[in-house]
Amino acid sequence: MKVDIRELGQFNHLASQGAERAAESLSQLAGVEMDVDVTDVSLVTETVLAETFADRSFVGVELGLEGGLEGETVLAFERERALKLQDLLMDAAIDTDSDSESTLAKSSVTELGNIMIGGFIDGWASHLGTAINMTPPRYTEANGPRILPDQAIEAAKKHGVFLFESKLRGMDVDLDFSLYMLPEYRQFVQLLSGNESSNQIPVNRLSTFEELAKEGAGNAAGQIGMMTGLDTSVDVSRLRFVPLSGVPKQVGNDQFVGVVFELTGLPSGYLVVLFDEASAKTVASSMMPGGSEEDGIGTMTEGAIKELGNIMTSGFIDGWANVLQTSIEHSPPNFVHDMGESIMSPVVGKLGQQQDYAFVIDSAIEIDGQEGQCDIYALPDERELARALSALPAQTE
Amino acid sequence: MTTNRSSDQGPTRRKVGIAEYVVVTGGTKLVTSGVGSCLGIVLHDGYNNVSGLIHVMLPTAEESRDTNQAKFVDSGVPMLIEAMEEAGASRRRLRAWVVGGSEMLSFSSDGDSIGKRNIAAAKHVLSELRIDVAGTDVGGNHGRSMTFDPVTETVTIQTADDTTQTI
Repeated sequence: MKVDIRELGQFNHLASQGAERAAESLSQLAGVEMDVDVTDVSLVTETVLAETFADRSFVGVELGLEGGLEGETVLAFERERALKLQDLLMDAAIDTDSDSESTLAKSSVTELGNIMIGGFIDGWASHLGTAINMTPPRYTEANGPRILPDQAIEAAKKHGVFLFESKLRGMDVDLDFSLYMLPEYRQFVQLLSGNESSNQIPVNRLSTFEELAKEGAGNAAGQIGMMTGLDTSVDVSRLRFVPLSGVPKQVGNDQFVGVVFELTGLPSGYLVVLFDEASAKTVASSMMPGGSEEDGIGTMTEGAIKELGNIMTSGFIDGWANVLQTSIEHSPPNFVHDMGESIMSPVVGKLGQQQDYAFVIDSAIEIDGQEGQCDIYALPDERELARALSALPAQTE
Repeated sequence: MTTNRSSDQGPTRRKVGIAEYVVVTGGTKLVTSGVGSCLGIVLHDGYNNVSGLIHVMLPTAEESRDTNQAKFVDSGVPMLIEAMEEAGASRRRLRAWVVGGSEMLSFSSDGDSIGKRNIAAAKHVLSELRIDVAGTDVGGNHGRSMTFDPVTETVTIQTADDTTQTI
């Protein structure tokens, strides 16, 4: 089975539009202006699901899809935010003569989920040219990945599951939640199969690559550990498929210190290593005998981050080159100290000359417990990545 | 990607993403962040009170297979003008502000940087369309966030080192 990356882009676009409509319904129902952050899709394994949802407690509304698109949709928000949303909905509700406030809150959240998911799915049926039926909404509360339907978790164990995620954020209120869509694996893979061979990736290779990304991040984390003597561990590592214009938003607009590399070979692309300012200082200071006395981010930190970035990047791409059986080189480091979105702007500009979507391998490394963090973003040229993955000898499954 | 419009009753500010544009009427502020090598181009008709902001990534549509016109200077600006005319703007009353186009990275494979080419493309398109440029803050090697306030007819630019500038 093969996946056409243009089809994947098409579905991502449908999901983004759906999320916009869901946000509109919320504005109308609760008078809250919402901004849709990014919509991404990834093929995730059970481990990644566990990492992504770990240590969080959710309230959600779950709704099954049948017909032209089978699967599950979940509107989920963190439990602490549930009260906030319930307040907003209570204010907006006219009829309050219910048995108890909590029943009303639950039913209004369920109804909200129903309407938002309805808006989300609207465009899909017309794209697919068939009807999609929705099962009645179900209110759920759970910790970690259990907020997702059991079928999806089972599928993730077997062959991975496609996870669409749209993040919605309140413009003027502190409210954010995520809309997840988990299409039934076999049917969805069918829908993704296209005819143009140059744009196709064998679907089982997508999960192979996920493991690869993990190895790359593991190597990079090991290098930080060795250079600084600090404890490091890979927190999350995921291969996402996102619209290029959504990449800067994913990184966010905080201040970062880091390095950007251009990759050449198969695949070519970009690799960005970012530390928050405090982590950059910690790491740089640990690399110098006797520590650093530097105020702020100066030439000493710059030198240390460049050196570390070089070694991390070599470790990261070595893993790829081994598995892909290709050779990949990287440029000298470009030091950056700026707002996250701006740092990504020239990278997406460069890739934007050839593509509209990007595979982003996004890894977070924890440094010294939860004291510091380093994010690695790898953005390979999508056609070259497809080519390299397709060229691999067949695997036995 | 999205064409949005808001009226006088709408929110007080609107965010514009990369490769997107937004047209507003009245006093609604227009905001965009993450302007690195990209450009934020503001067009404003003060008489009819129509403002638009587009966040473009690349100079010309020819360079890409993409169909999203809002990604490019040469196709995006005319599209923004059209949307503004629909909202009641008059083409000959438009004034422009151009922000961004920095050179944040340099790679050996580059000729001219994207930032430089974006600035040149914007100058070219605006002069072809005979639109006066009221203010610019372009080049350098730092990122920018910007806000256009239709009431004061100014663009406020913030950079990573927390300096703020108004043009």
